Amino acid sequence: MSKRVLCKFFAHGACLKGEHCEFSHDWKDPPNNICTYYQKGFCSYGSRCRYEHVKPSRSESAASSSSSVSHPSRATSSGITKVPGVMPELSALSRPFLPPNKTAWNPESVCNDSLENDEVDEPRNLKPADRSICSFAAAGNCPRGEKCPHIHGDTCPTCGKQCLHPFRPEEREEHMKSCEKKQKHLEALRRSQEIECSVCLDRVLSKPTAAERKFGLLSECDHPFCISCIRNWRSSSPTSGMDVNTALRACPICRKLSYFVIPSVIWYYTPEEKQEIIDSYKSKLKSIDCKHFNFGNGNCPFGTSCFYKHMVKPGSYMWKYHRPPPRRPPPFRPPPSRSNVVDMDSFIDAFGDLLGEDEPDFFDAENEVRMALDVEMALLLTQLDFDSSDSSDYESYLD
Amino acid sequence: MIDFSRVQKELQECSKDIEASGIKVTPVSDNLVHLTGIIPGPVGTPYEGGTFRLDITLPDGYPFEPPKMHFVTKVWHPNISSQSGAICLDILKDQWSPALTLKTALLSVQALLSAPAPDDPQDAVVAQQYLKDHQTFLSTARYWTESFAKTSSLGVEEKVQKLVEMGFPESQVRSTLEIVGGDENMALEKLLSS
Repeated sequence: MSKRVLCKFFAHGACLKGEHCEFSHDWKDPPNNICTYYQKGFCSYGSRCRYEHVKPSRSESAASSSSSVSHPSRATSSGITKVPGVMPELSALSRPFLPPNKTAWNPESVCNDSLENDEVDEPRNLKPADRSICSFAAAGNCPRGEKCPHIHGDTCPTCGKQCLHPFRPEEREEHMKSCEKKQKHLEALRRSQEIECSVCLDRVLSKPTAAERKFGLLSECDHPFCISCIRNWRSSSPTSGMDVNTALRACPICRKLSYFVIPSVIWYYTPEEKQEIIDSYKSKLKSIDCKHFNFGNGNCPFGTSCFYKHMVKPGSYMWKYHRPPPRRPPPFRPPPSRSNVVDMDSFIDAFGDLLGEDEPDFFDAENEVRMALDVEMALLLTQLDFDSSDSSDYESYLD
Repeated sequence: MIDFSRVQKELQECSKDIEASGIKVTPVSDNLVHLTGIIPGPVGTPYEGGTFRLDITLPDGYPFEPPKMHFVTKVWHPNISSQSGAICLDILKDQWSPALTLKTALLSVQALLSAPAPDDPQDAVVAQQYLKDHQTFLSTARYWTESFAKTSSLGVEEKVQKLVEMGFPESQVRSTLEIVGGDENMALEKLLSS
């Protein structure tokens, strides 16, 4: 059962147990937001408690007493008499002393529940599928061995731990899948150790800080760089006569133009692996709201090609008028140019104008250029937005 | 900010195959901003047998900006100024890439010696001569190589003696020779200007 509950340390980004944690490190699993003190009869935070105050159902308390809530329950096992002993802990949180909240749910049952706890961890009359497996065995070693009252899971062929529940096929399946995925990731990570950045000539994964230990994949070629070097290069000021569109957008090695850079902690060896990295990166960005679009109140220069989410909030400009608001300050309007050699800046301006003022003719005539340009601009945007959104988000994805 | 760990690596890398390429990069001072490069004249050209010294300064943005290089040894070449030693080479300007290193840049300079581009000249006089009077160009280039790029054939003592004979005090000659890295012509220039 415990594997299904989201680890709260993991949720805050700092579970020290890592893969040995008995709680789930899968974001899909629900967090255990139930206040165990309330369930035991007393929560001194009362209505201000950040956990949910719900009364336990019979079966829930039986199952939970063996997993996540067993330790807190011991702290309050003597019920109300123990309450003053709890207070020193609370005073550390600089809260004023509050008398015990007598209206909390049935204080009497506290003793019964927690006294059972040490002797019999689980009622024996549960169906095998409802019983949880021993978390010590699942983590690799159960000190009680044969005498353990819990079921010991079957050994997982990938991680070698006794963590496969014998009577829960879906859970087994899920574990095997995630275990294999993790194994694959570790393998890829191991192979990536050797890869050097062609700019700083360092091994990318041996860099001093975690933020630097990332590759910057180029969309159009397969030359390895660390994320900071390639971003530095692409964003370096073109003062020294270098042209943004030909020199800086190009791979430093093969000079092939790439429209965007994908951060990744692993290097890839097949086109499929690369595609997988790109896809998951894009889908990650797609879940972040676009700052330029601003829920329909802003004008995103990348339009429909933007990598970020464009969500229209009811009541926003977009929602009311079905078009983005005009850009401010009004951009300089370049003379309409029909040639394919277009200055990037003036084109962005022109494009912004088009969005704001609906000029379908010009729009269609330049459609092909526009498409190419969209990608180009998406690149710009991704670079603009990286500092704020990228590193943290991408890291959480990789966990 | 210059990535000094990269410069350090480049120097190590360069010293590894000094035998094969003949290209040498040595720091002038301890801070690795100011370096000296040495390239041998390519075989089959009027520069053959010469040893050419270049002054290299790394800009703050290195390796995202190209290193500043110019010839210290005088060269007769359409793309190298016969006066200042300035080099006209795209990779040292707008075609620079951070994947290039000091060694590869010097290799490119060496390649430029064997393949002049007179249509895009740095020194118009040399370029004119290259196009209109190729024989004279070849002999001039060879003469310049002989007189400016082959000084290292003399031993240090010979150089010292030669300069002392010109009337400079020996201690000053020795220290000047040391500063310019043993190039007697440069030492002479320096002695004359000081």
